Amino acid sequence: MEKNIIKEHIYDVIIVGGGPAGYTAALYAVRAGLDTVVLEKLSAGGQMAMTTQIDNYPGFENGVDGFDLGEKMQLGAERFGAKTELVEVNSYGLSGEIKKVSTSEGEFLGKTVIIATGAKPRELEVHKEKELVGRGVNYCAACDGMAYKGKTVAVIGGGNSAVGDALILSRIAKKVIIVHRRDSLRATKVYNDILNNTSNIEFMWNSQVSELIAEDKLKAIKLKDTHTGEEVLLEVDGIFVSVGRKPETENLDSIVNLDKAGYIVAGEDTKTNVKGVFAAGDVRTKALRQIITAAADGAIAAHYAEEYLVEGK
Amino acid sequence: MEMLNMNKELFDKSVKESEVPVLVEFWAPWCTYCRRIAPAMTKVISENQGNILIGQVNIDDEEELAELEKIEIIPTFVMYKNGKAIASIVAPESKAKIDEFITESLAK
Repeated sequence: MEKNIIKEHIYDVIIVGGGPAGYTAALYAVRAGLDTVVLEKLSAGGQMAMTTQIDNYPGFENGVDGFDLGEKMQLGAERFGAKTELVEVNSYGLSGEIKKVSTSEGEFLGKTVIIATGAKPRELEVHKEKELVGRGVNYCAACDGMAYKGKTVAVIGGGNSAVGDALILSRIAKKVIIVHRRDSLRATKVYNDILNNTSNIEFMWNSQVSELIAEDKLKAIKLKDTHTGEEVLLEVDGIFVSVGRKPETENLDSIVNLDKAGYIVAGEDTKTNVKGVFAAGDVRTKALRQIITAAADGAIAAHYAEEYLVEGK
Repeated sequence: MEMLNMNKELFDKSVKESEVPVLVEFWAPWCTYCRRIAPAMTKVISENQGNILIGQVNIDDEEELAELEKIEIIPTFVMYKNGKAIASIVAPESKAKIDEFITESLAK
């Protein structure tokens, strides 16, 4: 296997990440005549590839499978000549005119770089969690909530997104139990009244998930009291983990400006503080992180990459 | 390239008789993460032709085998050498991690 070889080829655009932002950027870049490569560590789609039913991406009257949508976006970009390399990025050198991206299979050189590495939900880090994804363990109420119509679910977390998820689920599920490791919510006060007026939401305070109990799918969770250590069993049909999200920017610290939470600081024009470097999709500071806003970012990033290549600004 | 689908018989025969190490992915059709790994595996197979034999076991069809091999979480990749399991990895997060696992386990 060829490894650690410097690739002499200089791409017009290197796109890091093969989710909806990355492959939309690739589609627009390659259709603008730019020599484009997408560096993806596993397979197309990113976060959406873990969701089997997406109902909030327009154009699919019966919804669409996230993995399939990812592959279609990849094929759509490759149809016009975009390349994909299955490599993991180790480090970046972005300050010069020719940007360097160091990967598990050598160095890639490009005139512009679009970072579309996305974000991932923080996990509970409980045994069997990964295996039960899609079988009772969920990370997105808006995506996967409908599967729990009339059922009992637990939301793990106490921040704004956890409360938001609980409210979405309260309109679908029979009962929603918010499991939080503290004795009060971190969520903004405006939520308090709404929560108190929602009859099917209950709370389990000072509780941490210690075990997932499953046969073919999740049946119950074991909760450990954070003060007494006492464990109780809670029967649920599903859980929604909402303990935050983290951007995939571990190796970008001091390379581009990041905000406190680690997201790349860039406006709606996707321009970062480094010339010729753009941030698209969930990895960027933005209000709404959805497939469609990621795709939109990809198109915008490709546009400004093209402008930079033509005008050098 | 498609992964070689192994039932218990083929698994036993491959692990016992193969002249090269055998890499087996234990998976199931409902496992969303297993699906994400498939495109990377296609590349891994073509890059390791002749070097290792790569196959997969559907744990829904081969419950007894999965139990014998003590597979609790999927996807689990196990490397067998001279008929014995010598290393395993659960849910690798990138193709690079799979490559690394192969290199490290073959060096054992």
